Amino acid sequence: MPAPKVPNEERLFSLVLALLSTENGLTKSEILSTVQGYRQRFVHSGDNANLERQFERDKDDIRELGVPLETIEPPEQAGNNQNLRYRIPRVDYELPDDIAFSAEESTLLGLAAMVWREGSLSEGSRRAIVKLRSLGIETAEPVLSYAPQVRVRDEAFEPLREAMDRRVLVNFEYLKPGEQTSTTRLVAPLALVQHQGRWHLYAKDPATDTFKTFLLRRMVSGIQRTKKTFDYPTDNATAQALAGLEEVWQSNVALLRVEPGTDAATRLGKRRGAVMHPDCRLEVNFTDLNIFADELASFGPEVVAISPPALRSAVIERLTRTVADHG
Amino acid sequence: MANKIPPLRAQDKLVFLLALVPYLMDRDRVSVAEAAKHFGVPEQQIREAVRLIAVSGIPGETATYQAGDLFDIAWDDFEDNDQIVLTQLVAIDDSPRFSAREASALIAGLQYLSSLPEHADREAIATLTSKLSRGASAAPTAVAVESSALDETLALIRESVAAGTQIEFDYRNSRGESERRRIDPLRVESVDADWYVRGWCHSREDVRTFRLDRISQPAMTTEAITHTAGDVNLPETLFDTSDEDIEVGIEVVPSAIGLLGDYVADDAPRVAARDRVRTTVRVPHFHGLKRLISGLPGVVTVVSPPEAREAVARWAQAGAEQYAEEQ
Repeated sequence: MPAPKVPNEERLFSLVLALLSTENGLTKSEILSTVQGYRQRFVHSGDNANLERQFERDKDDIRELGVPLETIEPPEQAGNNQNLRYRIPRVDYELPDDIAFSAEESTLLGLAAMVWREGSLSEGSRRAIVKLRSLGIETAEPVLSYAPQVRVRDEAFEPLREAMDRRVLVNFEYLKPGEQTSTTRLVAPLALVQHQGRWHLYAKDPATDTFKTFLLRRMVSGIQRTKKTFDYPTDNATAQALAGLEEVWQSNVALLRVEPGTDAATRLGKRRGAVMHPDCRLEVNFTDLNIFADELASFGPEVVAISPPALRSAVIERLTRTVADHG
Repeated sequence: MANKIPPLRAQDKLVFLLALVPYLMDRDRVSVAEAAKHFGVPEQQIREAVRLIAVSGIPGETATYQAGDLFDIAWDDFEDNDQIVLTQLVAIDDSPRFSAREASALIAGLQYLSSLPEHADREAIATLTSKLSRGASAAPTAVAVESSALDETLALIRESVAAGTQIEFDYRNSRGESERRRIDPLRVESVDADWYVRGWCHSREDVRTFRLDRISQPAMTTEAITHTAGDVNLPETLFDTSDEDIEVGIEVVPSAIGLLGDYVADDAPRVAARDRVRTTVRVPHFHGLKRLISGLPGVVTVVSPPEAREAVARWAQAGAEQYAEEQ
């Protein structure tokens, strides 16, 4: 008679409960023979290879949720896999007592989670909110209804994020603007930041020991994870990455001439730091010349790039290309 | 807002169970309806979870899941009155920590939203970020989004909603025409670095979407609002579509489809054509189209109708001529 099927969530839940309750840990065979969902399929003194594989997958699934499932190797029996013991230390599992959230904070966190309603971070933000609700805080209705969204449409994002979690070097083909062929890069990924609506990778090149920033959309190959690990600190990586991009933005100033009373005049004039001169000349900062040239081209005759010369010729080249493509 | 809710995976169900238990522990008695409302889930999901919790536990001394090793609930209250009362507890004392990924999603979302009027207190964001980091089971992945550059318009919109009065502003549409508009603000939305307000437009007697960076001279009025977010059904897509929209055939480099965002409907046909993909976008007129296409030089080409091709070519040509005149 086949054993009745125990739902996956019941097996996972029972495993977490069992491992939370043990001080010294349970061995794999103790788990498989006694925990709900495994014990029904356990064959005493038989082959449990399928069940063991199931246990391996379950461990990964549980750890992915932030549950600290530990492996203890008894010192006197080092090297013997069968004697490894598993447990979930309570102190690393439970949210520390001094962490509490107010109703207002809970509202802000709800909005922060909504930002990722599509793409690879949506699952994590949804689960975070379930855990937040666990604390029983009432959420204050915001005065104004919001639906903020940050999109993660670059295919490179998720593999890079995973490589960051594993702290391993990655390989990819990178096409620098203005170049015809890509070059292979090998870097330690430190942070992923969105600046001016574009995702960037902040990384360290181990060959030159220098920090570099790459645009995800210029990574023209898939991301290859290597087995080489790195241990550079990443505590301030996002701040450094954003500060670096801000510095580039500060140092790049374009001089434009905008047609008064146009979309270009309104929108470019509202940019952060934009300075409008009485003769319709507008000073605007930018980060990436090619991206900014695309934007300026979209305004057609409403704006003329005066300087820098490279920006000017980039815009002319774009407009000419569009005319040729639609001739 | 009605987000698409994907079916719950076993992992999500596990998170829900681990979150629900501490919530129930903190309450002597709670109705299924109240718990469902708190977690924002269907009542049936609460009932199923409670039934599972009530029969779960640890193998215990005997390794046979004896009654004393299981959770228990007041069954009569549950079956007859839809009330949840935990009468016996096992293993779980507190809410689980966030995973590194969950915490990083919320932290990056908070940072993106840090310039909203709700976040006037910068220190509050720093405090929340540090609580999330400490409440995570591992160091959060370094993901960040630059804070949006928002001007006083958003603060004014919020003020008008709080006061229940209409707001008015000059709005320049994509045709380049400027007009004074008066709206009841309903919701503020964003996509990456672009921000929008959706409102009931008294000039058009309909729901309209406005880009914040196209708004100028905003001012509160003393006129009471006539529509609120609760009584207007806001379409899911940000762009207002109508049956009179024109269908435009385009050829796009596959990797650039994402850049067209919501312009390409999910159900639009996609046919491979050499190294491009042939698909369609729907637009109310060519004014927005010519800007969109000119801003994506070399990656998107309009193929039909001829008038659309011509509108794009003329726009880019007019832009290019500005430079020719200057030489």
